[in-house]
Amino acid sequence: MVMKYDILDSPDFAFLQLTLNQGEQCVAESGALVAQDSQIEVRTSMRGGLLGAAKRKLLGGESLFQNTFISHGAGQRLFLASAAEGDMRAQTLKAGEEFFLTSGAYVAHIGNELVIDTKFGGVRGFFSGVGVFMLRIVGPGTVFYASYGALHPVSVGAEGYTVDTGHIVGFESGVSYRVRAFNGFKGLFFSGEGLVADFSGHGTVYVQTRNASSLVSFLHPFRRVKSNNS
Amino acid sequence: MEHYIEHGPSFAWLRVKLRPGVELQGEAGAMVRMDPQVVMTTHLNAPKNAGFFYKIWALLVAFMRKVLGGETMFVNRFTSAGQGEIVLAPTLSGHIIHHALSAGRRLFVQTGSYLASAGAVSTQVRLGGLRTLFGGEGLVLLECSGEGDLWVNSYGGVVPIEVNGSFIVDTGHIVAFDGALDFKVKSVGGIKSFLFSGEGLVCEFRGRGTIYVQSRNLKALVSWLSPLLPS
Amino acid sequence: MHFEIQYNPAHSLATAHLNVGESVRAEASAMVSLSSQVDVATNTGPAGRGGFFQKARRGFLGGESFFQNTYRARGPGATVSLAPQLCGSMVVHELGTGPSLLIQASSYVAAPDSVDVDTQFQGFRGFLSGESLFFLRASGYGPVLLNAFGAIETIDLDGELIVDTGHVVAFTEGIEYSIDKAGGGWIQSFLSGEGFVLRLRGRGKLYIQTRNPTEFGHTVGVMLPARSS
Repeated sequence: MVMKYDILDSPDFAFLQLTLNQGEQCVAESGALVAQDSQIEVRTSMRGGLLGAAKRKLLGGESLFQNTFISHGAGQRLFLASAAEGDMRAQTLKAGEEFFLTSGAYVAHIGNELVIDTKFGGVRGFFSGVGVFMLRIVGPGTVFYASYGALHPVSVGAEGYTVDTGHIVGFESGVSYRVRAFNGFKGLFFSGEGLVADFSGHGTVYVQTRNASSLVSFLHPFRRVKSNNS
Repeated sequence: MEHYIEHGPSFAWLRVKLRPGVELQGEAGAMVRMDPQVVMTTHLNAPKNAGFFYKIWALLVAFMRKVLGGETMFVNRFTSAGQGEIVLAPTLSGHIIHHALSAGRRLFVQTGSYLASAGAVSTQVRLGGLRTLFGGEGLVLLECSGEGDLWVNSYGGVVPIEVNGSFIVDTGHIVAFDGALDFKVKSVGGIKSFLFSGEGLVCEFRGRGTIYVQSRNLKALVSWLSPLLPS
Repeated sequence: MHFEIQYNPAHSLATAHLNVGESVRAEASAMVSLSSQVDVATNTGPAGRGGFFQKARRGFLGGESFFQNTYRARGPGATVSLAPQLCGSMVVHELGTGPSLLIQASSYVAAPDSVDVDTQFQGFRGFLSGESLFFLRASGYGPVLLNAFGAIETIDLDGELIVDTGHVVAFTEGIEYSIDKAGGGWIQSFLSGEGFVLRLRGRGKLYIQTRNPTEFGHTVGVMLPARSS
């Protein structure tokens, strides 16, 4: 029972089209809905139970809630997209197979047995102070994730590879990393606090070619200034 | 009108070759480059036969929106005594689509998606209440009709969806739709979903016609970035 | 060294391939990743003589200051990958026997040491629109990496053209330019949304971007929560 899906408009403005038959469902990040056929019901629930949700709220601006889309008809289309301009990928995992994803990159998943472990790497400031933390995803199932910018896979080998933390999307198991401060200038304001990850081992690291901190830094001067008596 | 849509589908711009006697109208701020003989004038986007009080109201609204942000109701009109070329581009990344309007066909366009028009095309703002003027939830649409050319831009890619029955689209993802379709703005699920789903309002379409759906959403961009902003 | 550009036009990534001992200077915020054989040094070059430029640029060009890092290859196979702040393309302009290149400040990404980048060249600040325009002047020889918000249009100019200032990436020295209001008067410039334009005349190469960062900044910035300073 493999659900039909297509990633359209890759790599510039990728979005996901799923076709759900009676009873099939898909769990998605809040805010990801683009469009849907009318016989799909949306149910909102708290992620990982009350305790899990509360813990996640402490760690970052992530939503406490997730949406489950359930089809009540045949061939019901569901279109999902991430907020960021960029690409999307599907990673299909076998039972027990692991994949590591930054929390902001997660869009949706199918497969009721897929595990999204948020306790892994949930140390505050793992990658930067903006509440980004790693998700450990374990199959079976398919996870859909998005990048800000293009998705650039890098094969890491014995010599290692260093990536600015704001540019990391995810990586395969088999790769290990060490986060440290970057010893160059990283710009004065909010460019990811100047952290980099040194990767080593054997596997693929998924790098995104844009990062949210730079966009935030660009937009900051265009924000309105709070008035004194507000 | 002779026109070329270039650099699409990701960063499309509209290149128009003006001839004497024709006029291109474009949204404020869209001009990229033009030949020196092209003349630009700025106008309030009120219908040409609008009454005096409508124009005053429109002017007031336009000034408030310009200051507070949001769509302005000013447009630029470009003419050329001889042949002259002008290029217009939207603010956000994405594509541009051309619609040839003819009698009897109406197209509703989200105000942010309007780029330019030419010929006898009327663009009437349909407001969904005072709140929607200032960026609140809801739909602010331009009803476009008449005879001529209309250019519309999308944030991200654009997918035409043929509706035959019903279909639901998140309001932030609507570029334009056929005037023949019925539409109703509502929340995506029940009360719990309305409060917590993180989804904005959706528009339920019924009937037969085409909806143009864009794959990115400005409000979603703002929601994504807001928690990352320093205070 | 050479630059390899991937993922144009929307999400460009430029990888500098350095031979042993070679180095490339790049805007501090542009770094995406590094291979293992690269040494990084900070470069406060412009700080001394860049007073006005630094302060002004920080205020108007997205909060990025013009600090650069120098990446030097200490072994073979060294690479540095770079990307700009906004979505769009990157292009390499080769400097050599031809004229120098005037670059709109936020469009400059990186260049090797054989290229001299003068950050004091020219500045101009808009009045009502809050727009600003700062040019750098790149001379010498070697590849200069430029970024564009959106796609890049390359024009071989021979005549006259009016370009909205927010859409200018770079042009070769020798082209005459003057800054003008887009509309007839100040009110029209404000209401038309166009602000200022650059009148260009002469012969040379002109790079234009298909989106305007200031327009984008205003459109999104106004929708974001207000800031306290």
